[in-house]
Amino acid sequence: MGILEIKQLYKSFGCHEVLNGLDMDVPEHSIFGFVGQNGAGKTTTMKIILGLLKPDSGSVTVCGEKVTYGETKTNRNIGFLPDVPEFYGYMNPMEYLKLCGEITGLTKYKIELKCEELLELVGLKYEKKKKIGGFSRGMKQRLGIAQALLNEPKLLICDEPTSALDPVGRKEILDILSAAKGKTTILFSTHILSDVERVCDRIAVLHGGKIALSGTLSEMKDRYRHNGFVLEFENEKEACFFENAEELKKPEISLSRNKNVVTVLMTGRDMDGHFLLCILSQKRITPLKFTVMEPTLESLFMEVVR
Amino acid sequence: MTGYLAFLKKEVIEYIRTYKLFIMLIVFAVFGITNPLMAKLMPEILESLATDGVIITFPEPTAYDAWTQFFKNATQIGLVVIVILFSGILSSELSKGTLINLLTKGLSRTAVILSKFTCMVMAWTVSIALCFGLTYGYTMYLFPEDQTSNLLFSVLCLWLFGLFLLAALLFSASLTKSNYGCLLITGVVVLVCMLMNIIPALHKYNPISLSTDNIGLIVNSIDVTSLYSVILISCLLSLIFVSLSVLIFRKKQL
Amino acid sequence: MDLAVLKEYFPFLIPLIILQIVLSITALIHVLRHPRYRFGNKVMWVLVVLFIQFIGPALYFALGRGEE
Repeated sequence: MGILEIKQLYKSFGCHEVLNGLDMDVPEHSIFGFVGQNGAGKTTTMKIILGLLKPDSGSVTVCGEKVTYGETKTNRNIGFLPDVPEFYGYMNPMEYLKLCGEITGLTKYKIELKCEELLELVGLKYEKKKKIGGFSRGMKQRLGIAQALLNEPKLLICDEPTSALDPVGRKEILDILSAAKGKTTILFSTHILSDVERVCDRIAVLHGGKIALSGTLSEMKDRYRHNGFVLEFENEKEACFFENAEELKKPEISLSRNKNVVTVLMTGRDMDGHFLLCILSQKRITPLKFTVMEPTLESLFMEVVR
Repeated sequence: MTGYLAFLKKEVIEYIRTYKLFIMLIVFAVFGITNPLMAKLMPEILESLATDGVIITFPEPTAYDAWTQFFKNATQIGLVVIVILFSGILSSELSKGTLINLLTKGLSRTAVILSKFTCMVMAWTVSIALCFGLTYGYTMYLFPEDQTSNLLFSVLCLWLFGLFLLAALLFSASLTKSNYGCLLITGVVVLVCMLMNIIPALHKYNPISLSTDNIGLIVNSIDVTSLYSVILISCLLSLIFVSLSVLIFRKKQL
Repeated sequence: MDLAVLKEYFPFLIPLIILQIVLSITALIHVLRHPRYRFGNKVMWVLVVLFIQFIGPALYFALGRGEE
């Protein structure tokens, strides 16, 4: 059973339908990448999970408990990091974390312990007595993670944690998330695909208010692997010769040539690299390079979104 | 309950560190001192303004004049300052998103509203007490012979009116998204009370009587018992406003 | 105003002056240490805070003070 289950979720703002029958299942101890374009409904989904927005219909279950709008009972299992976390500027990180700890009902001793540990984890140990008002975006984001992990949540929800940051800040956040992986399940929304590839083990692509694609990263790459090959020849003449071979004139095969490089895409089931190698040996051509095209997350994403 | 206390603590820190409490205390302290002073100086000021040849004599100022100043300033300027200071009580947290974090930590929305109300009432109580204490001390010093009646009761009425106003403010804040909307609705509530005051029959039940009958109480022209019904009504209305704020805020999409 | 009259009002003037000084200095320190305002600039706020009695500092804290 997954730690988070969403069934047939519908939500519209006015006549604008944002979620259109969303189904999702997040298994325990995964880093789940929740990918979608801007405005695809990622934040809306997360707010519904947190009970901050009321869904039109459908159900959300966290750790086997149903989420009801306006009540925050299920939130004790959840840690949430908003896209741009805002804190009280007149407090320092220590005071803020203590406030959060008191709200979640941790004991005084536990709060003390956890605060030190988390500030260490997110690298704000030396800033713990400085006013949050003077913090940079990245520092606030790190404090946001500390705050979200305070009650040892079973599910950590991060809404675009890296979008507003520079490359250094992004790397820091991703490292912290990877470090937290063993302790909690992470649902991580983003539109930056390289981040997903770096830390996530499962992804779901949200498009048109539904999950258009989901699975583990390797599974998805396998499923969407094209029989695509790139062949580089010694000169343009050989490339042309290969390109115009009779055996390749089939509807399942599409060819494109750029000078002495030919790209072959095959959609037929029984066609693979051997088929091309046979043609090459028949024609007695030796290519300089023969490479299999790896599908990138970007190409997958573009395909789904189109 | 833990959420309520933790959030109340945060509110107190906020009032202190954002200088809200500081401004309130200074404003009310200044009033507290100037009320009796103005009462004392008013005849002299008016006399110096009078043109030559015309001799106008003013009656000797008394403690009543000091208290008239007190009730006028505390209601007209003091409460306005308070309402303006607190107009962003919910909207600033909602627009900045500082509340989202805490709500997702399991803080109940009821606790948010109740602790905000508690803290506002606490600040108002401290301010009015400070102002009253200073005015009282200086009035005793300037006009030691004058006796007043029902003074504490009269101030208590004013305090209750402030509480009613803060409840209305909180209700307005839960209805709108901006602090201007909040100011507007609070203004409308006060205006309705003022308009209703035109009808004498309603005077006994109108919360605004709590802020208009104070002098009458002190000079004994208004009987204490005549205010019992309006005290009851104001308490009830405040309770209704706060309960409504809780209900509305619980249903608010954030 | 002669000295006798002034003396009579000492108990009023002294606390008022102290309040004004406390208010001005608190506001001045804040203006100098937090150089971001919702509007206006440092010079303007320093003048407002120092030379407009009571209302100047109150205005600064209520309207001019920038976000932390």
